[in-house]
Amino acid sequence: MELEFPSIDNLVKWPAYFGDGTFYAFNKIALISVLAVLIPTVLFKMAKKDMVPRGVQNIVEGTVEFVEKQVVLSAIGPEGLKYTPLLLSIFLFVFFGNIFEVIPTFQMPANARMANPVILAIVAWVSFIGIGIKAQGLGGFLKSSLFPPGVPTALMPLVSIIEFISTFLLRPFGLAVRLFANMLAGHILLVTFAVLCITLFQPSILAAILPFSFAMLVGLVGFEIMVSLIQAFVFSLLTAVYIKLSLHAH
Amino acid sequence: MLAQTLMLRFGEDGEELEELVEVAADNPILPVTSELFWGAITFAALFLLVKYVLLPPVQKTMQERADLLRADLDAADAAREKAGSVATEVSDQLADVRAESAQIIDAARAEAEAERARIVGAVEVEVAAAKAEAEAEISAARQRAMAGVGPAVADLAADAASRVMNRPIEAGAARPVVDRLLNSPN
Amino acid sequence: MSILASTAAQAVELAQELNPEEAKANAAASGAGMAYGLAAIGPGIGIGYLVGQAVQAMARQPESAGQVQTTMFLGIAFTEALALIGFVVFILLKFA
Repeated sequence: MELEFPSIDNLVKWPAYFGDGTFYAFNKIALISVLAVLIPTVLFKMAKKDMVPRGVQNIVEGTVEFVEKQVVLSAIGPEGLKYTPLLLSIFLFVFFGNIFEVIPTFQMPANARMANPVILAIVAWVSFIGIGIKAQGLGGFLKSSLFPPGVPTALMPLVSIIEFISTFLLRPFGLAVRLFANMLAGHILLVTFAVLCITLFQPSILAAILPFSFAMLVGLVGFEIMVSLIQAFVFSLLTAVYIKLSLHAH
Repeated sequence: MLAQTLMLRFGEDGEELEELVEVAADNPILPVTSELFWGAITFAALFLLVKYVLLPPVQKTMQERADLLRADLDAADAAREKAGSVATEVSDQLADVRAESAQIIDAARAEAEAERARIVGAVEVEVAAAKAEAEAEISAARQRAMAGVGPAVADLAADAASRVMNRPIEAGAARPVVDRLLNSPN
Repeated sequence: MSILASTAAQAVELAQELNPEEAKANAAASGAGMAYGLAAIGPGIGIGYLVGQAVQAMARQPESAGQVQTTMFLGIAFTEALALIGFVVFILLKFA
């Protein structure tokens, strides 16, 4: 019995449906990204405007309320409510990019490719820098983010370099890598147990392990659903925290 | 390898940049141009949709509900306050009524007491008058009876005494003695 | 450290037997495994400690559980990043 683990290219790279080789090559990742726009649109449009919410309206309003309360209000406060559209769209885009990891026939998180996390990290980066410059002015923003108060003058150059790296380079890098690596790791984990199940499915004494492997696979699907939600939450929460840090000199 | 590719990226040689593109296509970590393109377009679309089309009506509904809830709560508070004031009013009135009734009862009781005292007094007076009259009548009758009885008893006593002593006793002489005996309280 | 040394020695030994391409792949694979394994130690301890403290805080003050939870997720996100960078290094070494 031999365990044939597929190469990573088979796991994360998908052939283009059309436009192969061009900059608009449309593959599964692009399809999931389009669905991540269409599904929220349909859901929001289906939601009625009753005073007593039912069905889809409950889901939609629950999502909006979750983002408003748990992300915007808890990280920024009432002054951040005008950034709700940005944070809500980040939340939705990340969540739908992730949740296709466990949806049959897709079985692929769009965020296990670096493209979408990079786009979202750039959006977050541009947002917190733009909001910071708008709130404090260019000089004020650079001063508050590069020259933290209370640091001895001798250490200031070093601290400034560290602050510059951590604020302007590590923040977007961390956002993108966190999301990407989480989803890729989850995807590989699911693939590992799926491959194990397939390999064990044969007349052999080793088939006795199959139930455990399968139970693990089922458990991991639940775990990955949770991870999808948490990553969407964490990505929007971190963006909100960075916006909050840009709003005021600290 | 990432470090190498990054170094290549910041290198100035054009050939190395071409090499970078080939490496990027093989590397499972670096983003692919087409996916970046679609990701950017779809996210921009989602953001614009959420900001201008999808979110405002939902937020409006939620705001309306919050307002409605607040209005209902305010109305409930007002009603509760009103009910409280009505209740205090009622209890005040009740206390008033209770005090008044107690007053009326006290007055009635005092009046009844006075009436009773008056009636009892009148009856007592009447009874006392009747009693006195009866006593007077009794004593008069007694006097009368004594007066009637006295001579007969004196005669009888004198007769009896004369018989005992074998000598005649003057009835007139016995009379004062008999009267004294009769009148003395025995 | 001795494990590291012996693995490296093994890799060198293999390198003498195999052709350079395979030797490189072998060294990368063993390095990948070690990179991820070592990268997971610190964040594992850190996240455990963090969540434990968060549970303690929530048990002491259940009314501030929401705030603690949000902060806990932020802390996990920052701590986890280290392990995830290790995972990225693993992918880079193994597949790139």
